[in-house]
Amino acid sequence: MFKIAGFFCIIAGCIGWGISKITEEQSRIRHLRELIRIIKRMQDEISYGKHTLPEICLILSEYCDVLYRPYFCHVYEHINQCEGAGFEQVWEEQMCQCLREAPLTGEEKNILINLPQNLGLQEEKLQAQSIGQSMDLLNRRCRQAEDAYENRAKMLLSVSVLAGVFLTILLL
Amino acid sequence: MFPESLRARWRVAAQQAECLQEIRLRVNVPATVLIDRKEWFVDTDGSLVDRQPVAARCSAEELEAVLKHLCQYSVYAFADEIRQGFLTIQGGHRIGLAGQVIMEDDNRIRNLKYIRYLNIRIAHEIKGVSDSLLSYLYDRQGKICNTLLIAPPGCGKTTMLRDMIRNFSNGTGYGAGVNVSVVDERSEIAGSYLGIAQNDIGIRTDVLDGCPKREGMMMLIRAMAPQVLAVDELGSEEDIQALQMASGCGCRLIATIHGSSVEEVQHKKYMRNIIADRLFDRYLVLTKKNGRCEVEGIYDGDGKRCLK
Repeated sequence: MFKIAGFFCIIAGCIGWGISKITEEQSRIRHLRELIRIIKRMQDEISYGKHTLPEICLILSEYCDVLYRPYFCHVYEHINQCEGAGFEQVWEEQMCQCLREAPLTGEEKNILINLPQNLGLQEEKLQAQSIGQSMDLLNRRCRQAEDAYENRAKMLLSVSVLAGVFLTILLL
Repeated sequence: MFPESLRARWRVAAQQAECLQEIRLRVNVPATVLIDRKEWFVDTDGSLVDRQPVAARCSAEELEAVLKHLCQYSVYAFADEIRQGFLTIQGGHRIGLAGQVIMEDDNRIRNLKYIRYLNIRIAHEIKGVSDSLLSYLYDRQGKICNTLLIAPPGCGKTTMLRDMIRNFSNGTGYGAGVNVSVVDERSEIAGSYLGIAQNDIGIRTDVLDGCPKREGMMMLIRAMAPQVLAVDELGSEEDIQALQMASGCGCRLIATIHGSSVEEVQHKKYMRNIIADRLFDRYLVLTKKNGRCEVEGIYDGDGKRCLK
């Protein structure tokens, strides 16, 4: 009786692990889509609204996912405190904090963190295009993740079930 | 105004913000500051000195860092202004720029590169500067006179205009407050930030920020039905045409123009007609004597002096 209960516990645990990995993958795709949405909005605000970057951060603090809002708000406030802080530095600090827990790869996080490296152009359309490069990179990543998601989810579930069965056999 | 890395050098000058008039930065030469009409140099410790040899020199990188900071790291947002050789930052401070010009094929200025000279003109809001002149700016029926402010650069035209706007808008002992609309092409009058005026321009004032005067005047007349329309720095025939159209719409006008006397303004080709047509009822001429801005005189529509 105990052995059967133990068997079910192990299987359930392994499936739970598998599901958590699948959820993580879903969350990664959701974050990537949100980052694309953020960069797209930045592009639009630059090329159409000709807003300055701190102003764009203020707009984003009311527009993007709740998770990101306070960080954009901090960037705006820091720059507006008139203490002479540089935008690149403040942006990097805040985005590092913001993405610390996000289920994204280091490279994906760096696309947003290093966004100010594409800034400094004197013409709004060129500036928007330059930022668009980061969006293209994220788009590619997102598409890859979306395409691989179904297979990956099936694979993770199968592996987790098999791992559970294997562990049970091993412990028996 | 300065990035963190350069703040220490400008701390002493910044402490004198009330009297600070101008900061001039030029690459590889000592930076100068104009405080209360006296020119100073700044040494590496940030102290104000009057001897050039000990003065700190500004490098190209430092100047670029200052410009980037002034543009809030968004140079693209100021492209149109940079093309015209200046930009206005939060608070209405005007930054003059010089460097190498990039031309378009049709001989228009496309942009500036290698910006190596900055002239930071600190805007000062002086409330009450027009109070003593108000009696000349209303006619016998208590109507506001169409007024043209004439002065060379740096004589306080914008400061005077801003205070007149505030007075007309809030109301004075000579007349009740009226709706005033301002076309603030260079964001110097209201010093708007995120669309909100940073300077006190009165309770009945509407501001169209960053809009060319020609389009702005007609837009405001149609949209805001002002009783008084105010514009800064008339400088082209189109501006004058728009002003004439605005005067035909029944609102009173306050404007400024570069010049040192009514005669000098009269000789400007595009001004000749409107002076002859007596579009303006008052000409207020400002001047600088011993470094101090003052009213040289107020003249009526015929050029007769009302105030000496």
